[in-house]
Amino acid sequence: MKRAAVFVGLVVFGWLVWDTGADPTRLVRGIPWIIDFLRRMMPPDFHVLPAVLAGALTTVEIALLGTTVAAALALPLGFLSARNVVTPPVFYPARVLLNFLRSVDTLVYALVFVAAVGLGPFPGVLAVIAYTTTSLAKLYSEAIEGIERGPVDAITATGATRLQVLRFGVLPQVLPLFLSYVLYRLETNIRAATILGFVGAGGIGFYLQTYLRMIDYPAASTALLVTIVMVMVVDAVSSRVRARLV
Amino acid sequence: MIEVAGLRVVFPPNVVAVDGVDLSVRPGEFVVILGRSGSGKTTLLRTLNRLVEPTAGSIRVDGRTVTGAGPAELRAIRRHIGMIFQQFNLVRRASVIDNVLAGRLGFVPPLPSLLGRFPERDHALALDCLAQVGLAHLAGRRADTLSGGEQQRVAIARALAQEPAVILADEPTASLDPALTTEIMDILRRINVERGLTLVVSQHQLDTALAYATRVVGLRRGRVGFDGPPAAVTPAAVEAIYDGGSPR
Repeated sequence: MKRAAVFVGLVVFGWLVWDTGADPTRLVRGIPWIIDFLRRMMPPDFHVLPAVLAGALTTVEIALLGTTVAAALALPLGFLSARNVVTPPVFYPARVLLNFLRSVDTLVYALVFVAAVGLGPFPGVLAVIAYTTTSLAKLYSEAIEGIERGPVDAITATGATRLQVLRFGVLPQVLPLFLSYVLYRLETNIRAATILGFVGAGGIGFYLQTYLRMIDYPAASTALLVTIVMVMVVDAVSSRVRARLV
Repeated sequence: MIEVAGLRVVFPPNVVAVDGVDLSVRPGEFVVILGRSGSGKTTLLRTLNRLVEPTAGSIRVDGRTVTGAGPAELRAIRRHIGMIFQQFNLVRRASVIDNVLAGRLGFVPPLPSLLGRFPERDHALALDCLAQVGLAHLAGRRADTLSGGEQQRVAIARALAQEPAVILADEPTASLDPALTTEIMDILRRINVERGLTLVVSQHQLDTALAYATRVVGLRRGRVGFDGPPAAVTPAAVEAIYDGGSPR
């Protein structure tokens, strides 16, 4: 049984290597080209810095606005897809809808929204909202399902309404977790928003892609450096705040 | 004050937790429900304010019918019944005073309360209740920074904030050491004597039950096996209540 599984695994692996044309020697032969590429990126052309920084700011704005709106929109959805809040007739459709919407990535949403509302940061914001709302709703609902039953019982026993029980028994338990998830999504959305520019949804990605197309590698390396610094700064700040929350 | 007739609670698929309990509690009584774990004490108490739905039978508290009450009516009944739990059940991340204020939720205007705003009168009442359990100085602290005994006193203050007619206490000292057990039971007795509040307290410890109760109800396999004053709890009665097991 075990041998058969190993054999099948090896066959599948071999087929994958063959079918994708994976060939380590090709990579080795390509190394000089990578070096050449990196060399042509040096030194970075800092003349484009103002434009690149403006693009970086737009990227941060897309991520920030999109994540904020999504954090709020995900609240009702999160509660509606938590097993211990609603009955199965509400819970199952909500879960199926979330899983359906979540299976499409931010970039695909961006393509749709660029086609719908045109180029610029706005379709980027819409794409971030579309994906982040569903992914946060899923995380919210899991946090809600993990709460302690005791305080909920205690609040219920005081004669509180359902909404009051949510507000005083559930929310204080889950809010720090929610905030932590939102910050985490903000980090990943900064990265996602960088790519959004590639499909015309604004931000620093637009500059990076334009420079690469114009074969202006020194300018592209400036955009790349700014992207790296931006992501690192946001990650550092956000993870520090998250550590204090939980 | 509390009228229970023919109460049965069956959990799916067919676990009979309470098996035909009749019980009448008069105003001002300090009733201790005694029994080993699994005898149905917790279920009986939680059914009195319908945290657990009864399968059959009727419950009346303070002249109102609990069984069959609609959602609004049930909330109106619950707000006059304070409840204390073995695990305290405070909202850990909330402040002490916010936990006590939760006792006012059934009385305050719902919408402002959702924004965390309570009338001045209710704030004053919550602080007063906290003072009665000797913890007014900890009002601003986060609940989970308090010791177990202090947390249970906050939970008592929360129940008092309801200005209830009845307090139900489900094994209020089972998570505490003996010294704190005395402290908590003394507070409950004071509430009973000074305010004339009716108390129904479940206990698995015999000596604690006998020291505080004005009436002991022994529960055995979901049925009332003994009902009388502490003085009437003979060794034979203990044997019957604890089903031949140890009273610990």
